[in-house]
Amino acid sequence: MKRISSVSVTVSALAVAGAFTLTAIGPTVFAQGRGAAPAYKVDPLWPQPLPNHWVFGSITGVAVDAQDHLWVVHRGGDSLEANEKGMMLTPPTSSVCCTAAPFVLEFDAAGKVVSSFGGPGQGYNWPQSPGSIAIDAKGNVWITAAGLVTPPPAAGGRGGAPAAPAGPADGQVLKFSKTGQFQLQIGKPGQSTGDDGLDKPAAVAVDSAANEVFIADTGHRRIAVFDSESGKFKRAWGAYGEKPGADPGAYDPNAPAARQFRDVTCIDIAKDGMVYVCDRTSNRIQVFQKDGKFVKEGIVSKNTLGAVVPGQFGAVSSFGSAWDVAFSNDAQQQYLFVADGQDKKVVILNRSTLAPVGTIGQGGRQPGRFLAVGSIAVDSKGNVYTGEQHHGKRVQKFIR
Amino acid sequence: MKRRNVFIGAGFIALLAALGVSQSVLEKKALAQGGSGISAPRFEVDPMWPKPLPNGWYIGQTIGVWADNQDHIWIIHRNDSLDPVEAAADQNPPTGECCKKAPPIIEFDQAGNVVHAWGGPGQGYDWPDSNHGIYADTKGFVWIGGNGGTDGLVLKFTRDGKFVKQFGKKGVKADSNATDHFFQVAKVFVDEKANEVYVADGYGNKRVVVMDADTGQFKRFWGAYGNKPDDKDLGRYNPTAPLAQQFRNPVHCADLSSDGFVYVCDRVNDRMQVFTKDGKFVKEQQYQKDSLGDGSVWDVAFSKDPQQKYLFMSDGRNSKIRIIDRQSLQEIYNFGEGGHYPGQFYSIHSIAIDSKGNLYTTETYQGRRVQKFVSKGIGSVPRKEMGVVWPTSTSR
Repeated sequence: MKRISSVSVTVSALAVAGAFTLTAIGPTVFAQGRGAAPAYKVDPLWPQPLPNHWVFGSITGVAVDAQDHLWVVHRGGDSLEANEKGMMLTPPTSSVCCTAAPFVLEFDAAGKVVSSFGGPGQGYNWPQSPGSIAIDAKGNVWITAAGLVTPPPAAGGRGGAPAAPAGPADGQVLKFSKTGQFQLQIGKPGQSTGDDGLDKPAAVAVDSAANEVFIADTGHRRIAVFDSESGKFKRAWGAYGEKPGADPGAYDPNAPAARQFRDVTCIDIAKDGMVYVCDRTSNRIQVFQKDGKFVKEGIVSKNTLGAVVPGQFGAVSSFGSAWDVAFSNDAQQQYLFVADGQDKKVVILNRSTLAPVGTIGQGGRQPGRFLAVGSIAVDSKGNVYTGEQHHGKRVQKFIR
Repeated sequence: MKRRNVFIGAGFIALLAALGVSQSVLEKKALAQGGSGISAPRFEVDPMWPKPLPNGWYIGQTIGVWADNQDHIWIIHRNDSLDPVEAAADQNPPTGECCKKAPPIIEFDQAGNVVHAWGGPGQGYDWPDSNHGIYADTKGFVWIGGNGGTDGLVLKFTRDGKFVKQFGKKGVKADSNATDHFFQVAKVFVDEKANEVYVADGYGNKRVVVMDADTGQFKRFWGAYGNKPDDKDLGRYNPTAPLAQQFRNPVHCADLSSDGFVYVCDRVNDRMQVFTKDGKFVKEQQYQKDSLGDGSVWDVAFSKDPQQKYLFMSDGRNSKIRIIDRQSLQEIYNFGEGGHYPGQFYSIHSIAIDSKGNLYTTETYQGRRVQKFVSKGIGSVPRKEMGVVWPTSTSR
C-alpha cells in the first residue's frame, strides 16, 4: 500500500477555440476527473532512496521502456554544488554524503534501481552534458549530447560570470545496449558542419520499424533523420518543414511567429506517425509527418519568456513553455503531456486540437511541485514521470 | 553524570577514550534490550507537509525555524536568494506564470497552512542584509538575527510583523568584545524567566552574548571553553590538530535547556560545547569530526520530556539529524540522507520541535524546503544509520 496524497493537479475544461494560452488556475485544488483530462496525484515516495549515498544531478531525460522501467539520464557530479557532493571533493568534506549517481539509471516500477551505467569510455565521446534519453524497440538506449550553456556577458555578479564551457562543443548522439555496451555514435564534438554534423542535439526519437532515428539538432535549428543502424544521414527540415536557416533572435510574444526554430528540445513520434517537436523558447509545438511535411502547431503559453542565470556549476538556461512532450497511454494517444519548465508545471493538451485541458503541479521543491521540469514520460498504465533540471534534480511519479 | 567529569577540560586523547567507553556502554545496553537494542525517539517524514504555498509563492534559502507555544511553525528564508528563473512571475515583465517571492517570515499552523507572512525593510529599523535565525517567544514576539555583510543586530517584532525594537546596528565589523552590537548573528534564544536573550554571535564574531531582553544591555559574553573571545583567524579546521581554544565562525546556535545549560553549535569545529548560564564551560563533544567545509554541528532542539533527555542536532554537512543523549552527549543514532526527496536534505540548516515532539527542519543553499518529521514515540531503532525515514504505513 502506497500512500498517495492528492496535490497539485488542476483540471480545467477550458475549450478556448484558437487561444491556447492557459491561465493559472488557483493553487492546487485537485479536481476529480472534472472535464476531459485524466487526473493525477503525485507519489511522494517514488523512487526509493538511491543506494550508496548517490544523488541526482540536473536531470535532462526520462524514458519508459517496454517493461515499464523508467530510464533516467542526468548531468552527474558536474552539475552538483560542492555542498551536495562532499564525498567527491579533494579532500572529501564528508565521508557519508554524497556522491553523484551514475549518469544513466534504470528503475523498476517499484522505484528500485535495477541497473546503471554511463560516463567516458572507449570508442565514443561522452557528452559535456547529456540531453534526452530514448529506448528503442530493441531495448537500446539512445542519449544525446546537448552541450553546456554559454553564460551571457551580463551574467557576472559576485565572483564574476562563470567561464564559458571548455573543449569542443557537444555534437553527437550515442546508442548503447541496455547493459551499457557502446553501439553507435552519430556526429562528433566540435564537428558540426555538413548534413551529418550535429550541434548540441537535445533530443532523439527512434522509429524502429523504419530503422530511423530522429534527432532534434538544436544548434542547427532542424530535425535530422539518420539510419539507426548505420548512422547514415537521410533527411532534415526546419520549422514549418522549411529549410533550416538563421537564428530568429530573442522571442517576442507580440511579434509574428518565427519561421525558424529557436531551440528544438524534444522530438517524439506518435503511434499514428505524427512527429511532435518542441520549439522551447518559441513556446510552441510543431507537428510533422515523418517525411518532414508540416501539419500544424500549437502554442503552450504565449507570454512565457525566460532567463540565463549563473550558477555554481555554470550557467543555467530556462526559457519557454515547451520543453518536452509525452503521449497518453490510451490507444488513440488522446492527450499530449508538455513539460513546461519555465512555468513549473505540466500542461495537458488534447493531442488532436493542441488545446489545453489541464495542468499538473506548480512551482516549488515539495513533492508534486517543480523547478525546471524539463523531461516527461508515460508508462503503459498511464503513470506520468517527470525529470527536473537545474537545482530541481528529481524524477517524480504521478499516478492516474 | 558520571561521564561529565571526564569531559570537563578533557584533552583530545582523553576525549577519544571517553568516546570509546560510552560506545561500549551503549552497546551493552543494546544487547540487554535485544535486537540492535537501541531505544530512542523515532520519526517519520510527512511528505505532504506543509501544504502548497498560496499566491504562487516560492521560498529561498531557509535559515531558521521555530515552533511556538501554539504549535505554529515559523520559518525565515532569504527571498532575495531566489534566482530569476525561480521568481519568474516577479520579473518585469514576468517571464513565467510561476513563481513569486514569498515574504521572508512565514507562520504555518499544524496542518501546514500559511497563517501569516511578513517581513522585509520598514520604518524605524534596519532589515538585515541577510536574515538568519528565528525565535517566537510565549509573549507573542518574534526575534530574528542577520548574518549579512555589515549586519550587527537583532530585531524584535510582534507576531503579526509590527516592529518593536532593534538591538545593535548595521555597518559594523568583527569585534567579539564589543558591548553595543553584534556581528552577523546566527540565532536568538529567549530565556523568558530571566528576561534574557542568548545570541549566537555568530558569523563574524566568535562568542555567545547574553543581553537584557528589554534594554538590550549586554550582561555577559564568552568564547569557546568560556575563554575571553578572540577574533584571531584560526585558519581552517583540521580534524587531526588539537581542538581550537576559540570558536570558529559561525557560532551557529546558543540554546538554553530547561535545567539551565547553554548548548552552543561550533559548526565548523564539528563540536557542541555546553556551558552554565553564566558562561562556565561544562563539557563538549565532536560529531562526525572528519567533516570539513561548513562543519557538522548546525543547530539543536531539545526533546519535550521534562528532563529533555534527548538532543536533536541538524548536521548540514552530512545531511543528517543526530539523536543525542543529552547527559552523555553521545549520539544514539541518526537519520537522513542527501537529496531532494522527502526525508532527504541538501544542507539541512535549522531544527525545531513542537509540543508533540514533531521535528521541523529547514534547508539552505539549494535545498529550500521546510520538512516535518512526525514523532513516533520512543522505540527500538534497528540501525545507528537509519537513512531516509519514510512512513512505515506505506510499506512497499
